[in-house]
Amino acid sequence: MREKKTTKKYHSQNKAYLYLLPAITVAALFYWYPSLKSIVESFLTVNQSGKILGFAGLDNYRRLFSDPAFINSLKVSLTFIALFVPANTFITLLAASLTRRPSRLSFIPEYIFFAPVAVSLSAYSLLMRDIFRGQASVLNNLLGTTFSGITSAAGAMAVLVVLGIFLDFGLDYILLICAFRSIDSSVVEAARMDGAGGWRLYWLVEVPMIKDTVLVTVFLALKDAILISAPIIILTEGGPFRSTETVMFYYYTEAFRSGNRGVQNALAALVLTLAALIMTIYTTYKKIKEER
Amino acid sequence: MKKTIITALILLLSLLPVLAMGNSEKNSEVTEVVIWHSAQGSNSDVFDSLIEEFNNTVGKDQNIHVESIYQGKANDVLTKVNAASGTSSLPDIAMMDATAATDMNASEYLVTIDALGVDTSKILESGLSSYTSEKGLLALPFNASALLYYYNKTLYDSLGLTAPRTIADMAYVASKTGLKDSNGKLTRAGFIGIPTTFELSTFIGAQNGISFMLDNRNGHDGGATKAIFKEEGTYKTFLQEWKKVFDTGFYSTATSGTTEEFTSGRAAAFLASSSKLATIINSAEGFEVGVAAVPMVNENATGGTVISGGALFAFTDNSAVKTVLEYLISADVQALWSEGTGYVPVNTDTYNTESYKAFLKENPLYSVASDSLLSSNPNMTNVWVPSAYSIYYSFQTNILNFLNGTDVDTTVSEMESIINSAIKTYRDQNK
Repeated sequence: MREKKTTKKYHSQNKAYLYLLPAITVAALFYWYPSLKSIVESFLTVNQSGKILGFAGLDNYRRLFSDPAFINSLKVSLTFIALFVPANTFITLLAASLTRRPSRLSFIPEYIFFAPVAVSLSAYSLLMRDIFRGQASVLNNLLGTTFSGITSAAGAMAVLVVLGIFLDFGLDYILLICAFRSIDSSVVEAARMDGAGGWRLYWLVEVPMIKDTVLVTVFLALKDAILISAPIIILTEGGPFRSTETVMFYYYTEAFRSGNRGVQNALAALVLTLAALIMTIYTTYKKIKEER
Repeated sequence: MKKTIITALILLLSLLPVLAMGNSEKNSEVTEVVIWHSAQGSNSDVFDSLIEEFNNTVGKDQNIHVESIYQGKANDVLTKVNAASGTSSLPDIAMMDATAATDMNASEYLVTIDALGVDTSKILESGLSSYTSEKGLLALPFNASALLYYYNKTLYDSLGLTAPRTIADMAYVASKTGLKDSNGKLTRAGFIGIPTTFELSTFIGAQNGISFMLDNRNGHDGGATKAIFKEEGTYKTFLQEWKKVFDTGFYSTATSGTTEEFTSGRAAAFLASSSKLATIINSAEGFEVGVAAVPMVNENATGGTVISGGALFAFTDNSAVKTVLEYLISADVQALWSEGTGYVPVNTDTYNTESYKAFLKENPLYSVASDSLLSSNPNMTNVWVPSAYSIYYSFQTNILNFLNGTDVDTTVSEMESIINSAIKTYRDQNK
């Protein structure tokens, strides 16, 4: 009887692995293998068609850090993160907070706020490009203003932040609104009985209860801010004058435009390490919290 | 279990059309030629109509079918060609420009025009020289163009101005055509745009009769090993002249959307390729467009204009590809292509056809580019530099920094070191 149970357990375990197999294969093939290859090749000299020419030591890294365009891209990325992550968190949280109480008309703001998810990134980027394209832009024509849009460094960065928020908004909103609505109503009721209301109820009871979800959106925003490249390729091509050339856009030009394998691998290895570091911080934080 | 089997069956069935497609291609007798092109806007329609014409005439007779696919700007096509190298998705022909030359010269998948045996005896000398490396003719000039000075003719006429001959003249004209509001904000730029690799190949190339930016004939003979514009002083001369335009205070340093600024009347002049001629004439809002040859850097810059624009790179060695290429550079097709776009005909016979002569008579703006090219030194040539895309942006930033106050010698040295380090990296990695 006991033996039978173990075999059954074995079987179910095997079955679990079987289900996992496709995911593991995909991860190994398209994630682990290329990551390892990049890290190893970052210490080698590789030519444009991928042939290994010899050992390079730290040359690729030295080249990367001596390129003023790379240093510039680091600054641009940090600026973007500093502007985008707080702005995105604030705006999505604000929208979710204002519409958190379900009512008969909830579907209207929900529909409006969910909708961005259904529009493709490139469509948004193209739209933004036309709306904010220099002095002769759609925006200036409509409003009679003279906003320089994507032709000035500050304008281009601002448009990019707005675009970034648009792209992240839908998903973040769904996450936050679900979190708000799944708060145990008895807790809110209890707080109300104790005399808490309005702002205090929101800030001291509701927000702390969805803290984890807010944190998820912050990390998602951080991830998107570090990896942003596609909208830049369409919207500004890194310009004007490299003012929107983020680290990943720099990677794109070096790897895909210039075929510079050395810099490509060195940068890939660095970004991988950074991503691993951020994930470690996040999981450690979660673990500490769970243990408490 | 039943469900799994059904799902698997459905998946298999959905794959069938894909498999069938692979088979049908093999069995048919028509040779398929795929072209990736970079003709944008209305130029794209003109290109498609040329291909359609081929498929209905020559193609029909010889069982060749051409499929043309728009793949973005010339540099986007290069990115995709590089990504597709070594795979079956590499096209038979790709339309790219000088930024592709370094990569294509090193590519093991490229089939040179010499190897294909295409007759190039009628092609413009400067066009051939601009795509010739130590390996031979890398690509067939097809969409050739020249840099032009576009200006608001209505405005110029009203002020009694003519197109400038030198950059110093340009500064004078800009100071007359620019406008500011009461707050001192520029409402109409006398000139808009910052030159980069493409413009500099002419601004540097034309100096002292002929000059090069890089050694080995701008990289055409075995690849460049270093930049030479510093020791020859050509870049410095250009910068010092260009500063005069900036100093008028009516100069806009915008680098994107310059065409729209010009066509909407918010900028009085800018530099652009002749390939934009048809598009710009059609979109100019309420004024007449004028074009002139690129202003000379100074009186000694007599070389003229570098032939620019694109060429057709081949990746398949068969007679169908050869037939398609010969069709596209034939005198009549080049005439149609030029009339629809503003590109300069690469076939010298085109200039003698009655229909093209008649067209030029009616549309004199179209002859400015070809006249300026035909009177230029044919040995002036485009720049073959690795990391071309990145260097394009480096030049703009470098020039802007100079205009904003960086010392001229520091500016030149910085640019030299950026280019030299890109060349060194490339040479180290591609021995």
